[in-house]
Amino acid sequence: MSIKLGSSELAKYPFLQEASTYIQETKFDFEEFDRPEMIHIINRAVEKLESELKGKIYSNLDEYEIEIMTFLVSLLLIKSIGVEEISRKCSLFEAMRVEKFLSTDLSNERSLQKKKLLVQKIFQELFKIDIDVDSTTIICKLSIADYLHRASKMNEQEWKLINRSVKDGYVYLDTDEAVRLIRNELSNLIYTRIKNMKVSEVPILIKSKADELKRKYSGRYVYRNQFKILEYPPCIKHAMEIINKGENLPHSARFMLATYLLAIGKTEEDVIEIFKNSPDYNEKITRYQVEHLAGKKGSHIKYSVPSCDKLRSEDLCFAIKECENLINPIQFGRRKFK
Amino acid sequence: MNQIGNPTESIDFLREVFRKYYFENKYFPYLYSIEKREFGYRKFDSLVVRHLSFKNAGELVAELIRNVPLDVYYSNAYYGLPSNPINEKQWEGADLIFDIDIKDLNIPCFQDHSYYICNLCGFVNSDQKVCINCNKGKTLDISIPCKKCFIAIKKEAAKLLDFLCSDLGIKETFIEIFFSGNAGFHFHVNDPNIRNLDSNSRSNVTDYIIGNGFMCESIGVRKSRNGFMIKLPKGGIMTGWRKKIASNLGINQKSELKLKHIVETSGGYEGFRNEINKITKKFGVHIDGPVTNDIHRIFRLPGSINGKSGLIKTKCDDLESFNPTNDACMLSDSEVCINLKTSLKINLKNNNFRLDNTLEKVPSYVAVYLICKGLATINKNN
Repeated sequence: MSIKLGSSELAKYPFLQEASTYIQETKFDFEEFDRPEMIHIINRAVEKLESELKGKIYSNLDEYEIEIMTFLVSLLLIKSIGVEEISRKCSLFEAMRVEKFLSTDLSNERSLQKKKLLVQKIFQELFKIDIDVDSTTIICKLSIADYLHRASKMNEQEWKLINRSVKDGYVYLDTDEAVRLIRNELSNLIYTRIKNMKVSEVPILIKSKADELKRKYSGRYVYRNQFKILEYPPCIKHAMEIINKGENLPHSARFMLATYLLAIGKTEEDVIEIFKNSPDYNEKITRYQVEHLAGKKGSHIKYSVPSCDKLRSEDLCFAIKECENLINPIQFGRRKFK
Repeated sequence: MNQIGNPTESIDFLREVFRKYYFENKYFPYLYSIEKREFGYRKFDSLVVRHLSFKNAGELVAELIRNVPLDVYYSNAYYGLPSNPINEKQWEGADLIFDIDIKDLNIPCFQDHSYYICNLCGFVNSDQKVCINCNKGKTLDISIPCKKCFIAIKKEAAKLLDFLCSDLGIKETFIEIFFSGNAGFHFHVNDPNIRNLDSNSRSNVTDYIIGNGFMCESIGVRKSRNGFMIKLPKGGIMTGWRKKIASNLGINQKSELKLKHIVETSGGYEGFRNEINKITKKFGVHIDGPVTNDIHRIFRLPGSINGKSGLIKTKCDDLESFNPTNDACMLSDSEVCINLKTSLKINLKNNNFRLDNTLEKVPSYVAVYLICKGLATINKNN
């Protein structure tokens, strides 16, 4: 007997293949959104976006058809607003909404077969992750490579491979963890769908709602350079002390120091001046390397400051209490301008 | 090679021996997908040439015989266009490489066979940081690993192999172990499933193998208002690092009370964290992290001569029986005269050499070894 997901389940996951099929089968046209009976769908989508822009997950759940249409209108609204930060935020909150539904479905579902089907639909159909659910422990099992591709982008220490249950090339996760693992990917998937949407003409009603939302929320996302560095982090201090003593720094520490100094706004000349104390200082080489890191030579890519995680693995971390919860030395000592 | 104090005659001698080796060993059986690799080499004047590519081993050997480099390298990465600048190479994946070295093991005997060579005049000091001969140069620490060193590094290599097979589930057929030709081992993992891992993912693997960043929470000890609380993880504690720590502490999934007692006797959460750090240090492997994390690095080519010793980077099929100073010593036996900078004892090709005189007649492989280490120069007059 083959098991299928019902419409009440599919309503929670409007980005699956089934939703596209539904839209195609009903031969729905965007112009239909200008019909008066569609206003409640548009209002629902606005309500959902406003909730997300205020930092709240929209938990209301309606029938399958309504959910699919609301999802579609949401994407159209975000596309019409055309503000990058809004697209990112709404994509993330849509992903978190799915995460919430999926976690609940996986822990409440009694049928193991249905549970497996749901996991495989989301993980395999969308992300090509080969995942299995252990029938006795209800623990998900996925290959280390699949795990690392996702977990290495997460900053929390608990996601590091060393802190996971690992055996014979597999990582074992409980269902909540497995769902959390794909949150960013799901968010990216929704974001990419918004980016790739090709809409020749947005229905008038949706366009006017989008303009309204843009007026109301886009001001919040204007970039303000509101931070200044008050103190160097201990890893940078340590590297500078070594240089000041006239001792050689390992290559990785030079990379960290130069990228950090450039990132906080020092000029290349300032950075070169600091390296002059190195016993093996060679102006030509130093200049080339500093300009390379600043993105002015070679690949023309500006290099970022290595993360705290990376510095720890290179023995360059000298963390103090103030370093707690930082993921990059650049965050150290940042205070808002009053 | 330690260049200091190696006059032209010594370099000419090394070039002649190296050329002969590459002429007689035209095949690199452990070099796969040659057309997708970037190659590079270090010349005898220390200049490094990179971004080379070859269609086949024949082209590579012709280059080696023509230019006779000190060291030969190739990329762990596979590229669409290997000879292009680094950001235009079209990266297609990279083997996972691990490097373990005797110097990182803190073996007590290491200092007993270390020599301190002046970076300016080449004089061999006993243990001074500033040369006592010229009073200017700083000394470089050169070591000749002993039997104990090799036993320790092989033990470390076995530990690494166990991590790769048991924890990471990599099949042995995808793992090739090479003696580096000097003082360590290189593990080349060419499993297609992990070839696409980016640098961050590799750094996660590195930390796993070293034992960096294990949280007390992963074994069920959490910080709380009252100090700490015990809540064992849903996924259990009988796999991976959790199992290694649990076994060392003598606990299992049902040992909540025992764990609580252990944390209390360790001095609470912070004390327990220190205990955990000691255990991870004990069970972790001393690999060189940045080497593994790098997806664009060039590595010593298997089958090539290591310019630091004159030994060959050699495939090691059985760690226990492998004898680095014999199995990787493949250069000529013909005798030459050398000027020694210090008296010393070495074992190569299963022969013990006790060298006490300034002028010694030795097989070429011994001469190459000592010249590469900066401890001798060739003597063409005798």
